[in-house]
Amino acid sequence: MMFSELYGAYYNTVAKLIEHAIDGNLTLDLMREIINSNAFSESGWLIEDAIKTERWQLITQDWKTPVTCKPVMPLTELEKSWLKAISLDERVKLFGVDFGFLEGVEPLFTSEDIRIYDQYLDGDNYSDAGYIERFKIILEAVKKGLPLEIVMLNRRGEEILRYVQPKKIEYSPKDDKFRLIARGLRSFETINLQKITSCKIKDGKLRFERRTQKEEPSFVTFELYDERKALERVLLHFAHLKKKTVQTGDNTYLVTIYYDKFDETEILIRILSFGPMIKVTAPDKFVELVKERLIKQLEI
Amino acid sequence: MAYKELVKSFEKIRMYMRDFYVYGFKTRNDFNKKSLRSYDDEKRRIESYLGNYMYFESSSDGKRVFLSIDSREAVHNPLFKAWKAKSFTDGDITLHFILCDILSKGVSMSPVDIVAEVDRYLSVFEKPMTFDESTVRKKLKEYEKTGIVVSEKQSRKTLYRMAECTDISHMTDMLNFFAEASPLGVIGSFLLDKTQEKKTSFSFKHHYITATMDCGILYRLLCAIHERKSCETQIVSAKTGAEYAYSIVPLRVLWSVQSGRYYCMGYNNLRHRIETYRIDHITDVKKGDVSPDFDKYRTRLANIEKHMWGASVPIAKDKLQTVSFTLFVNEGEEYIIRRLEREKRCGSIEQVDENHYKFTATVADEWELTPWIRTFICRITNISFSDKENEKRFKNDIAAMCTLYGIGGEKV
Repeated sequence: MMFSELYGAYYNTVAKLIEHAIDGNLTLDLMREIINSNAFSESGWLIEDAIKTERWQLITQDWKTPVTCKPVMPLTELEKSWLKAISLDERVKLFGVDFGFLEGVEPLFTSEDIRIYDQYLDGDNYSDAGYIERFKIILEAVKKGLPLEIVMLNRRGEEILRYVQPKKIEYSPKDDKFRLIARGLRSFETINLQKITSCKIKDGKLRFERRTQKEEPSFVTFELYDERKALERVLLHFAHLKKKTVQTGDNTYLVTIYYDKFDETEILIRILSFGPMIKVTAPDKFVELVKERLIKQLEI
Repeated sequence: MAYKELVKSFEKIRMYMRDFYVYGFKTRNDFNKKSLRSYDDEKRRIESYLGNYMYFESSSDGKRVFLSIDSREAVHNPLFKAWKAKSFTDGDITLHFILCDILSKGVSMSPVDIVAEVDRYLSVFEKPMTFDESTVRKKLKEYEKTGIVVSEKQSRKTLYRMAECTDISHMTDMLNFFAEASPLGVIGSFLLDKTQEKKTSFSFKHHYITATMDCGILYRLLCAIHERKSCETQIVSAKTGAEYAYSIVPLRVLWSVQSGRYYCMGYNNLRHRIETYRIDHITDVKKGDVSPDFDKYRTRLANIEKHMWGASVPIAKDKLQTVSFTLFVNEGEEYIIRRLEREKRCGSIEQVDENHYKFTATVADEWELTPWIRTFICRITNISFSDKENEKRFKNDIAAMCTLYGIGGEKV
């Protein structure tokens, strides 16, 4: 069963409280801190009350516990079968995990059970030993905050050298690609891992030419006409972005979405894909981009 | 009934989370399907789980509550939190930790001995709880089914001990990735809760988290597929909102990474054909008997899938439609050809001349391609649909777009 108290925030919080009670350092303040960082915003008084009034008989009034060992829970069948499914995923090669402990476990699903039908066909090659090696170096650099020396291919297919301070590894399921998000010497950079031909962790610190700040998100506002189920289609389509929707008439809505400036062309064509169900109203620059494409279409 | 932060059934909050997250324009009065009291409770709960992402705005129509999440910025899928809000009794939590402690000592014990040990643990409290043998047995059986406790027979007695623990601390990178990138990633999140590491090295683009609300249904369908079983399902009609019961043999789940939607492809036992069901429209799944024809239906599905662009299923082979369009590609615009190649799915591409490329696909429903074709607006030189009504509609839509922006208005 997936919806179970065994995986719940309360059980996890109480496990941490017991750990501290066993160590003999649990106090009211620490209890509150643990609840705040592990449970929900209204859980504080509920858990505190249940413990203080001994409705949950796990911690005594003097912060002791009859429990003797720090709580650990073995993997459940559900967790094992999910891990088994993951072990069959091609991308798992990037992490070098030994799944020997799952011998005999049935996977929760296989590639025969779930099919992605709209993923781009030029995704990264997860079987390439060189790619796996570079992924591991980059992951280590991200985790440890170490600078990287990267050789990558530019648009013309020429090798270029870059020094970057890695921040995150970004994955897009639509593109099936990993990208390195890093602070470059001049600006923030997004580098496709597939374009990197070699990399190594660089000794010492990088000296940046100037302060590089992340750009503020851009926005686009459009009127949405709810015909042919457009409301649901549009809102689901842009659900992954920060957005605001206001109903302005029986079947009309005003939607604002916020996006990364570098994704402007992508957002533009995604808006075009909804045809006359959407009319961009702001900013003017974006309206012009739509008009430009429509005029070109009429002229072609 | 007094408000409680935790809930017994996930279905209760599923609809509200979806409304707050996907739509976000409804006011309190728009939630007229349930009582307003129920709305207030669910809103309070969701605020408790996801307060950081919840926004309020007042207008003349009333106060709007909405969830706004940039899934590229959120470190972990925040909607997972709702899956960690299952209610339990005072006895459940007390017995859980004491039982786990007793059984983790490496010794197998009988329920009778366990009860005596539980009493000893609880004797430190002023008014100790008591658990009878049947309660303890029930809990042990439940935990055995879950996989955290194992039993063994010793003569006539059944003895219980904790299952072996697996160290997963070295898997955090993998878990951080797959909890977000894999179906039923919430299970990865459960596993991450068992580790100390909270930081992740990953972020995600085009990351749709809407289906988090449907994890329970997806899980039951995948179990049924794995066991090759028929299912009794309750499905809400998108058109009427009415709920219908269908007996289906689930065959495969289709996942759209461009919208986050999940569909179940299943053989409808009454209509005797393969159909598509949106998982967010399914409200209940009950497993039935093993379907002896599962393999036959799956083979049939594999043949059908060759002509599926999206989730629409062809009714018959002679009902397939062919859509084609030609694009103008100037020098230096080779990225358009690369786009066609990577986005073509079941379609094919041919170069017509130096600057023109033609895309063709024979599919169940040619209209499914129109959103994608529109992304090429500004370079479409020719388009042809099997159904001339569709062709007319496509061209009229472009004319309507021009009208919206006050441009020409001539047909393409």
